[in-house]
Amino acid sequence: MVMIDGRMTRGDAGSRFQRLRHQLAVARRDPVIAIGLVLALLFALLILAPVISILVNVAIVQIGDAARMRAPEGAFTLYYLTRAFASRMSAILLWQPLLNTASVAAGAIVLSMSIGGMLAWLINRTELPGRGWFATALIIPFMLPTWTLALAWTTIFKNRTVGGQPGWMENLGFATPDWLAYGRLPMIIILSLHYAPFVILILGSALQRLDAQLEDSARILGASRRRVAFQIVLPLMRPALLSSGLLIFADCIGEFAVPYVLGLPVGFDTLSTSLYRAISTRQSGMAAVMAAVIMAIGVLTLYIDTRMMREARRFAIVGGKGAMNRRRPLGRWFIPATGFAVAFFVIGVVVPLLTLFLSTIMRVPGRFTPENFTFDYWIGSNLDTVALRNGILLTPEFWSAGLNTLVIIGAASLASGVLGLLVGYVVIRSPFAALGAFLRQITFMPYLVPGIAFAAATLTLFAVPRGPIPALYGTSIILILALIADQMPFASRSGIAAMAQLGKEPEEAARVAGAGWWRRMTSIVMPIQKRALASAILLPFISGIKGVSLFIILAVPATDVLTTYSLRLVDYNYTQAANAVVLMIALLALAGTILINRLTGKGIAKGLES
Amino acid sequence: MPDITLTNVTKNYAGHGHAAVSDLNLTIAHGEFMCLLGPSGCGKTTTLRMIAGLEHLSGGEIAIGERVVDSLSAGTFLPPEQRRLGLVFQSYALWPHMTVERNIDFGLRLRKIPEAERRAKVNDVMEKLRIRDYAARYPSQLSGGQQQRVALARMLAVNPEILLLDEPLSNLDATLRLEMRAELRRLHEEFRTTIVFVTHDQWEAMTLATTIAVMNGGRLQQVGAPDDIYSRPVNRFVAEFIGNPPINMISLDAQSVLGGLAARLFGKLPLGGTSKVASVGIRPEEIAFSATVGAVPLGTLKLESIMPTGGSWILELSLGAERLFHATHTRPTARPGDVVDCFAKAEGLHLFDADGQRIELTEIRAQNAAQPIGQGRPALLPA
Repeated sequence: MVMIDGRMTRGDAGSRFQRLRHQLAVARRDPVIAIGLVLALLFALLILAPVISILVNVAIVQIGDAARMRAPEGAFTLYYLTRAFASRMSAILLWQPLLNTASVAAGAIVLSMSIGGMLAWLINRTELPGRGWFATALIIPFMLPTWTLALAWTTIFKNRTVGGQPGWMENLGFATPDWLAYGRLPMIIILSLHYAPFVILILGSALQRLDAQLEDSARILGASRRRVAFQIVLPLMRPALLSSGLLIFADCIGEFAVPYVLGLPVGFDTLSTSLYRAISTRQSGMAAVMAAVIMAIGVLTLYIDTRMMREARRFAIVGGKGAMNRRRPLGRWFIPATGFAVAFFVIGVVVPLLTLFLSTIMRVPGRFTPENFTFDYWIGSNLDTVALRNGILLTPEFWSAGLNTLVIIGAASLASGVLGLLVGYVVIRSPFAALGAFLRQITFMPYLVPGIAFAAATLTLFAVPRGPIPALYGTSIILILALIADQMPFASRSGIAAMAQLGKEPEEAARVAGAGWWRRMTSIVMPIQKRALASAILLPFISGIKGVSLFIILAVPATDVLTTYSLRLVDYNYTQAANAVVLMIALLALAGTILINRLTGKGIAKGLES
Repeated sequence: MPDITLTNVTKNYAGHGHAAVSDLNLTIAHGEFMCLLGPSGCGKTTTLRMIAGLEHLSGGEIAIGERVVDSLSAGTFLPPEQRRLGLVFQSYALWPHMTVERNIDFGLRLRKIPEAERRAKVNDVMEKLRIRDYAARYPSQLSGGQQQRVALARMLAVNPEILLLDEPLSNLDATLRLEMRAELRRLHEEFRTTIVFVTHDQWEAMTLATTIAVMNGGRLQQVGAPDDIYSRPVNRFVAEFIGNPPINMISLDAQSVLGGLAARLFGKLPLGGTSKVASVGIRPEEIAFSATVGAVPLGTLKLESIMPTGGSWILELSLGAERLFHATHTRPTARPGDVVDCFAKAEGLHLFDADGQRIELTEIRAQNAAQPIGQGRPALLPA
């Protein structure tokens, strides 16, 4: 700092000491810096350390590999990298899964963007009947966990290739080929159903912001409808389209549950299932490589996205004041268009949920006769099954998984909500810009790292004792820590937004009135941010309930949550029970989302977008 | 009773080239209604926030009474919550989750005042500020003027010895502004608090303050009574900033007609040292259409347009490409297009040197008396 005052510029040691002493006197009165430092340390441990440790593991000899590699444990090695990228095994280990992942992601992007784009246009720009209702109803598949759809799919299309109860089609006499029952095609369809609503949301809000006068001006100058669509509307929609495409891509790379349900049975590996396989077979070196690859793709995608958004700012539509929505009558397209919207709702919501529900009350799948229906799988006891002889609601494991879900995800969401608000507090208030910037960036980092890779990273770091921290594997603490980190991008973003919106004046007013820090937090800041805090806790809670990838790596039977419990049931082929649990998760997620929207007063669409 | 003393106060923000406030020396006496006036970004709000303790100094010292509250050399910093003063924010910063009553009560609660006393005090302040009826409402249910009064009441309830106001009237409409201005004056007289008031609105400063401190670019320009600042601006900035319509400023410049005239009148005036008159300012209301004693002829100007402002008129006069504005309270008889002889009243002339510093007419007169000049002696300099 340069002192403008002539007397200070002489910069003698005395004045430097004075300045330091004065800064300390100021800092002592304002805990913001202390809180910021504690947060920075916490996130360095929770977020930065796992990521670094997994990156380090890529290039050092892992436990158990020492003998085979004739190198001491912990020594530098390029073995894992070579093995993954340039060995006879590379095709199986890396390239094939990478190709599978990429092709599924590409397929899902194309399909979901065509479906979602059409629906967004129908809802926002045409006189589609019941468009208000559709605007909410068509978003539902996005609120359901992806594997709800995947399990519904297998319930219907499963064939003899894998064991367990056959699918409905099979029982009804149609032999379903493998390409229809498993692998690429069903994965693309299911991910498309899931992400199409996301496109509806993003593109819909862009369409709403688009000033109809821009189109009118072109029309007045003599442009045809087609020309307006391709030269005015489409270019203006491009940023939204590209961005939603990239975000879907990033999500698909990290998607675990769908390939787990639909890919693993036929050996259709994606990056995430390969990572899971590497971890479950204790090849930590290879797991590190896979995790690093997933991370790299995530980082790259988001980098491209940010670059493009920067570009897109040039397209910022000026003055959306006259943004009245011009709607077009559907004319002879009335029936096909309406039918399309209805079909999407039926296929994306009604069929999966109904299938799951029916499957839980049928003894033999796909036989629609009255004596085949029973509520035994829900509430029966002493069934003539090999195991799980009671209905799911009478099974203690179910309830303990439910309780775990509540405690683990609840604790993590509560913690991340509060931490997010504190991050917001420090970012907005800190007199040192660097501290705020560091917190903003580090809390955003998990967003670049798909959940499954992050779980692997957390496992690497905390599975064994480190300094004063005991080994955490198998405890619910490791789950909570990983969840907190995983939820920080959202929590800190909403915390920063909330604090920025609040401004510093209400708190300063309290300061001047004589309130100390604690008093200001408890009677001014927190009460004002009540709603923001509630949604910063509830939204991650909902996504936590739906989440699979973190838990599949970190949970053990003792710390089963509903998701891992249902996947375990899937593994054991307890189809009815598994579907019952999944159905409950889906309904919980749905109800929770609606509750949040009631609470925060936002439209469902807006709530999900953030 | 405390005076506020600012000694060599400097404030730098990290990453900014120039200081937000530099080397400010100012004493605000007890009971004063001091207005910090200046354009936006001049450092007035920063100064106010430093007095409040919401910003800390980069250099210098602030004392409230005997108590040094922020000092670099002493290494002390007293946080705002311990300075016992009141601050009303531009945005009012009412706590949205508390009713009017709770907002006002908050400070009293912090001071651990017994319930009954608190209640009496809150009621009293609400009564005085005429917000009694809104006691149970939330800030979002109040109009701007009501919010402003609640913000004031919240601070007055704790009887601060010093009340700081940061543009509290800028968000109000014209009528409310006038009303609140009267209210503030009344409060100042009734509560006898020292008030420091920040505004960019000279009208507000003129009507309210007992003393005005004009700031620009982080530096203090002039401190004085409102009248003083208007009639004897110490430099060009103050002269041009104060006054509406703004002062007519003519640079001495042979290229332009008016500038040439001014140059002939003032350019050769002998002044002490090397300083010379570089520009002349004429207040719009000090232009006359007839010669009076000591008036300076400006020549024959064309009346371009008349702008009525309701009870007064602004006349746009031109001489070639140059424009002068004249403000008057008498209905103009001339029509646009007419040609009029214009004079500047002697007391309305402000002379500035090349650095923009004021040159006193008396100074010129004195020198003139000692050393008479020859032909072309300006009319304003009677022998």
